[in-house]
Amino acid sequence: MSAKGLEAQRNYPLNKKLKEIFWGSWCMQTNWNYERQMNTAFMYGMSRTIDRLYPDADEVEKKKAVYKRHLEFFNITPQCAALVFGICMAMEEEYAEHPDTFDPASISAVKVALMGPLSGIGDALFQGTIRIIAMSIGISLAQQGSIIGPILAALISIGTSAPITWFLGKFGYTKGQEFVRQMAESNLMEKVMFVCSIAGLFVIGGMSATLSSLTTPLQFGEALVLQNVLDGIMPNMIPLAMTWLMYFIIKSGKVKPMTVIIGCFVAGIILNYFGILAC
Amino acid sequence: MKLVQTLIVVLISVMMKLDSRMFGRLNFERPLLTCTICGLLLGNLQVGLQVGATMELATLGMMSIGASGIDMNMGALVGCAICIMTGADIETAITIAVPMTLLCTLIETVASVVRINFTHMCDDAVEKGDFRKAKRIDIVYGPVLYVLCTIIPVFLSVYFGASVVEAIASSVPTWVTAGVSLGANIIAYYGFAMLLSTMVNKNTVVYFFAGFLLAAYSGLGLTAIALIGIVLAMILYTVKYTGTGVQAASAASAVDDLEDLDN
Repeated sequence: MSAKGLEAQRNYPLNKKLKEIFWGSWCMQTNWNYERQMNTAFMYGMSRTIDRLYPDADEVEKKKAVYKRHLEFFNITPQCAALVFGICMAMEEEYAEHPDTFDPASISAVKVALMGPLSGIGDALFQGTIRIIAMSIGISLAQQGSIIGPILAALISIGTSAPITWFLGKFGYTKGQEFVRQMAESNLMEKVMFVCSIAGLFVIGGMSATLSSLTTPLQFGEALVLQNVLDGIMPNMIPLAMTWLMYFIIKSGKVKPMTVIIGCFVAGIILNYFGILAC
Repeated sequence: MKLVQTLIVVLISVMMKLDSRMFGRLNFERPLLTCTICGLLLGNLQVGLQVGATMELATLGMMSIGASGIDMNMGALVGCAICIMTGADIETAITIAVPMTLLCTLIETVASVVRINFTHMCDDAVEKGDFRKAKRIDIVYGPVLYVLCTIIPVFLSVYFGASVVEAIASSVPTWVTAGVSLGANIIAYYGFAMLLSTMVNKNTVVYFFAGFLLAAYSGLGLTAIALIGIVLAMILYTVKYTGTGVQAASAASAVDDLEDLDN
């Protein structure tokens, strides 16, 4: 069926694939948006692999489905995206080879399960550690009037980011291939899905409590501050309610996405104006 | 001369903006490096280093994670450029940086609304099978919008001076900006819910609440939550697939061997 595409992908030189992963990762924030964050950038990074795997005109419906899969919500430290790209590339290859036995939902599940820990570790490493070290050295020398400071800062930043990105991509793709092959041979697939969906949902739960904030400034007299009352029952109640409200809007299937987006802004302006909600 | 200098500053701002967009956030978009390059190209390295070091020190603690984050970099660049071009002292650079940052945040809020629209255009393009257009939206439209949102305020403020920036930043009422940014925060939940709807079912919804409650009550960061989630998943995996052994949880292949033995 897609034998031609599969052959093209298999024969494509490893180094060129790794280059695609590398640049795909560094272009992670090209279209950062509030709704699905880095989704289009992830799709872009995967696009050449997908194009190679589904070259024929009669496979266009399959190709659309794969593109859509990689347009889901995604957020990660740019350098760490390489690992996810590598694994997804290996999994998409496997799916193209065994479309009947390989459950593509596992690809999304792996993405979601990886992005939480990888962004956490990545932000702590690149923004929290490397940036602080590079900039502190840079500042101290720059204050003495030496250009060596900023140059050193730049070298430290590039000298860590570039090799780490490259290595993560290589590791993800080659190990991913081995892993995915093993998966196809045993019933490991079901087990991976089990682990990923638990870890993934756990992270989504944590995300809705930490990544964004909603509070209410409402106050009745001096004594009754509504937010304190809510926090007394359970912290982050409003974010939780908002997540499920949105969930039921999506599940109902009656409201168009654009209507939701516009509705959010209108609601934002009104709720803020009357002091009902704040962020 | 002033126009040439302004254009050089605009060019630097474009390079710096693209660092975080297309070059993996290599820290070039940081006051220290931006101001140094500005000083180098405008012919006064010492002022560039001083302003860069001062602004970097002031913003080193800020970390942009997830949806929020204030970008002081363009403010630092403009402050540094005006310092060099007018011979003002370094304190002036900092006073210029603040309204400039406000203006950038304002423009960025509007741009983020446009980018949500880009995502939907991308969906539509894929739906119609126009994959080239979908790719173009990500790799061309997105960065171009970022660049435009940088060029305009940087040019205006460097060419016409800091008072223009202040006038623009203060002319938009706060209820509009605060309202729009509240709206943008609400939209983030739409994204979470979309992700949730692809993964959740009756049997697994409990794990969502487990993650939420742990994060809400403990105040732990997302990394901690994610790692705990993985450990939890591994424990449940052991319980479900091996029944007995802690020793079985070590590796997937080991689990397979044990299962073979059980059978």
